[in-house]
Amino acid sequence: MKTLAMLLLAALSAPAATGAVTYYLTIAGLGGEPDYAQRFKMWAEDIDGSLKKAGGDSSVTTLNAPQLEQIRTRFADLAKQAKPADSLVVILIGHGTYDGHDYKFNIPGADLTATELAALLDRVPAQRQLVVNMTSSSGGSIEQLRRPNRIVIAATKTGSEKNATNFARYFAEALREPAADTDKNESISALEAFRYAQTKTTEFFDTQKRLATEHSVIEDTGKGTGERTVTTENGQGKLAASFTVVRLGANAAAARDPNKRPLLDKKEQLEQAIEKLKFEKAAMPAQEYKRQLTQLLLELARTQEALDKP
Amino acid sequence: MKYLPRLGAVTLLLVLTLPAQTLLAQTLDQAEALWKARRFKEANEVFLALVAKEPKNPDYKVRLGRMAMEHTEPDYAQELFAQALEIKKDHAGALVGLALLASENFEARAGDLAKKALEIDPKLLEAQELLARIALEDNDNPKATEQAKKALAIDPNSVQGKAVLATIDLLADKKDTSWDPHTARGYETIGHFFVMNRRYEEGIQYLRKAIELDPQLYSARSKLGINLMRLGQNEEAYQQLELCFKNEFQDAATRNSLKLMDTYKNFVTFSTPTTILKLDKKEAELLRPYFQSEMDRAMATYEKKYKLKLEKPVQVEVYPNHEDFAVRTLGLPGLGALGVTFGYSVAMDSPSGRKPGTFHWASTLWHEMSHVYTLTATGHRVPRWFTEGLAVHEETAISPDWGDRLNPDVIGAIKNKKLLPIAELDRGFVHPTAPAQVIVSYFQAGRICDYIDEKWSWDTLLAMLHDFGAGEDTVSVVRKELKIEPAEFDQRFFAFIEADTKNAVDHFDEWKKGLKSLVEKSTAKDWDAVIKEGTAIRDMYPDYVEEHSVYEALAAAYLAKGDKPAAIAELSRYEKIGGRDPESLKLLSKTLEEAGRTAEAADALNRLNFIYPMDAAAHRSLGGLWLIQGNVKGAIREFAAVLARNPQDPAQAHFDLARAYRADKQDEQAKEELLAALETAPGFRPAQKLLLELSTTADRK
Repeated sequence: MKTLAMLLLAALSAPAATGAVTYYLTIAGLGGEPDYAQRFKMWAEDIDGSLKKAGGDSSVTTLNAPQLEQIRTRFADLAKQAKPADSLVVILIGHGTYDGHDYKFNIPGADLTATELAALLDRVPAQRQLVVNMTSSSGGSIEQLRRPNRIVIAATKTGSEKNATNFARYFAEALREPAADTDKNESISALEAFRYAQTKTTEFFDTQKRLATEHSVIEDTGKGTGERTVTTENGQGKLAASFTVVRLGANAAAARDPNKRPLLDKKEQLEQAIEKLKFEKAAMPAQEYKRQLTQLLLELARTQEALDKP
Repeated sequence: MKYLPRLGAVTLLLVLTLPAQTLLAQTLDQAEALWKARRFKEANEVFLALVAKEPKNPDYKVRLGRMAMEHTEPDYAQELFAQALEIKKDHAGALVGLALLASENFEARAGDLAKKALEIDPKLLEAQELLARIALEDNDNPKATEQAKKALAIDPNSVQGKAVLATIDLLADKKDTSWDPHTARGYETIGHFFVMNRRYEEGIQYLRKAIELDPQLYSARSKLGINLMRLGQNEEAYQQLELCFKNEFQDAATRNSLKLMDTYKNFVTFSTPTTILKLDKKEAELLRPYFQSEMDRAMATYEKKYKLKLEKPVQVEVYPNHEDFAVRTLGLPGLGALGVTFGYSVAMDSPSGRKPGTFHWASTLWHEMSHVYTLTATGHRVPRWFTEGLAVHEETAISPDWGDRLNPDVIGAIKNKKLLPIAELDRGFVHPTAPAQVIVSYFQAGRICDYIDEKWSWDTLLAMLHDFGAGEDTVSVVRKELKIEPAEFDQRFFAFIEADTKNAVDHFDEWKKGLKSLVEKSTAKDWDAVIKEGTAIRDMYPDYVEEHSVYEALAAAYLAKGDKPAAIAELSRYEKIGGRDPESLKLLSKTLEEAGRTAEAADALNRLNFIYPMDAAAHRSLGGLWLIQGNVKGAIREFAAVLARNPQDPAQAHFDLARAYRADKQDEQAKEELLAALETAPGFRPAQKLLLELSTTADRK
């Protein structure tokens, strides 16, 4: 976890690429039954609303039960519009199937296979990509979808988890829920959203006293099969931690004011010092750690106070 | 842990593979001798050889069945007795075998089977002995005496006949009895009945006597181990059960109890001078304040009500896994109860062990704690109906919405005149004729105590309790304290309960039909119809607060139509009558808060704490509400509960707790929590601001 914290800090400190756009494409698949159709549409609309509210330089598209041709058309547009510095987020909600070889996302008419989806994604120049496949059997799509610089989140660990999933409900919630922002940087990263939805899904099965029929996983190294948790050992989560899905506040405003640059520099130095101190925690006396942490946090708070002044 | 190979599992294989000479060489005497020598596997082989040789001989199957019973394989035994009856439908031995198996589970059919066996063979001692035992289990001493004497008439040395008569004397605190059986199995029976009467310490003494006389009587040794475990004497309990296990006595109760004790390392113990609280590590931090507070409150209340100060601490064990709790109490999984009391020791389900909204843990705790007082006050001599009745009475005495509501089973029993006479009410607990009869008996016993409290007084109930402690039975206690005959009491009580429940009983069928239609209208979101039909049927059966309650349907309809005050009114009715669904209580709290009724909003969430305290979001909301209202101690408890749930957002949880500490002027604790919040999220601005504020305050000092 320590490694992850450092990486997160690095991501926050890195200068934002000016003019970079995030393209969002949310697709609600075929419900089959009215109850599911309504549910999938509702979750897709929930996500659409959060993405649009989040502001920033973005393009949000949501398709409800589209046919394969409509999806291909949208990806063709994305392939034309997106630049390498841009980001792409594709979110799938609905039913999926897995026959042991390929995964299929259920839509009206011919289904979208994971192989075709991977090809469509590959044609979009945006280098940083996030695919959130929240359907049943979505774990069966990881092998086709994984690639360096692409985060793949799946609602199920394998293609054999065939029951309709609940993960999408909580992923949608994560995008508008401040509690998902665990580091309080006023934005929800892919990793924070994944963890929030995973925890809530687990709680759902626990409280209902039901056997869990879905086990969400994340893969962002381009070579794994998907992990339930992010650890130093499995090396997962680095990209996801630095991939902002939605911004909840105006945290980028200060960066645009040149008068505040020295304060921002000081803030970044303090944040780095705090992270360094946290690394050293285990090797130092508790009282000394607390003294130094208090000092640094107070200084950081004063710096932030100065930054917040108009 | 290694398990004994089951005899039943190898039956077919052995029959197919035994050589012909072996089959011919076997005799029943050999099988019986091997069984007596506890060489079960070899005895099984000989029995199977005999069965293979004479497949139409039911006697071999019955004897093998009896050995399977001793070898703790009831299913195998049952199968063999059934096979014997297929060969000879009036085989008395097979019938008595089935009767004995049924009696182990307190099945009402045990008596019928024993009687049938006696009709076939009037001299069948075991059947007669079993009838005596069953009568004593029903606390019907005259009948038990009569049946036991019949057994002694068949055989003057009848061990069980003597044991039953001796038990009657000993339970009545006679120092000596002329019926002392002087045998291990006799003492095992006496021990069994002391345990049944919740006189565990004395039961243990008799079980010890049994194994002193016959160290190989593992059924008694296992009972000893289980009852030691019940009283918290785990070290010796484990030793005794392990000894059984190693000697091929591996019934479910022995195995499960050993497995359970292996999990005790996962529990933490919190002790005060008057209480011992054992909680699973994973939920101890969260549950401790709530359980401790209710234990203390219950003890303070009962000390005054029962005019009794307990001599040693009460132990409460809380199991997040319901099956562990069931094993802890019965030695077997599958128990339907929520809590059980063994003297000063209470075991109960954790609120996390049940589906949210189906279990009121605080009500269960108060129920069980009242048993500690009634058992102690009477030296464990209180009949089951009275201790359960008082416990049910206490549930609603502390808070009217806590106790269980009038349910359809009870309505059915009242309508069909199935309530039992007071003198026979124990039968409804011990030998119910249908599963619902236990629930009905709890209700009836509780309402009897309510009725006596209302028509006579609390002191009358206390006097009855003391009479029971002095060894008097229900009939004499009713005559003495209520000054009427039991039959007269029944007449008056039935009239009272029928009048009290008349509305629900008379309208139940109409209400049931209306509810079905209401659920359909709700599903179709036909809100106008829901309001019309729901309003029409709601008061026909106002106690119904379970799934698809009318209150919740009406509240949903009113909310859909934008009428929040009406929705609040319905949900408030639901709450006050005893509705327990966490989502509905949270909805009530939210709508009350939106209406500016924050005190009532907090009350609704606080009520949820007694039902399902595992919901971090509810704790956070309640903490926030109490902080606004100035209940800072309450806010601290609630925000600490959020932290104990390993929250999704730890920085926010630490910050909330810091705010509460700050409001309580506990600045050092507030600072600790702020540091924890900011360590997780250094840029968390509200926490930064509070840290600066605290720092400035400290500098000024």
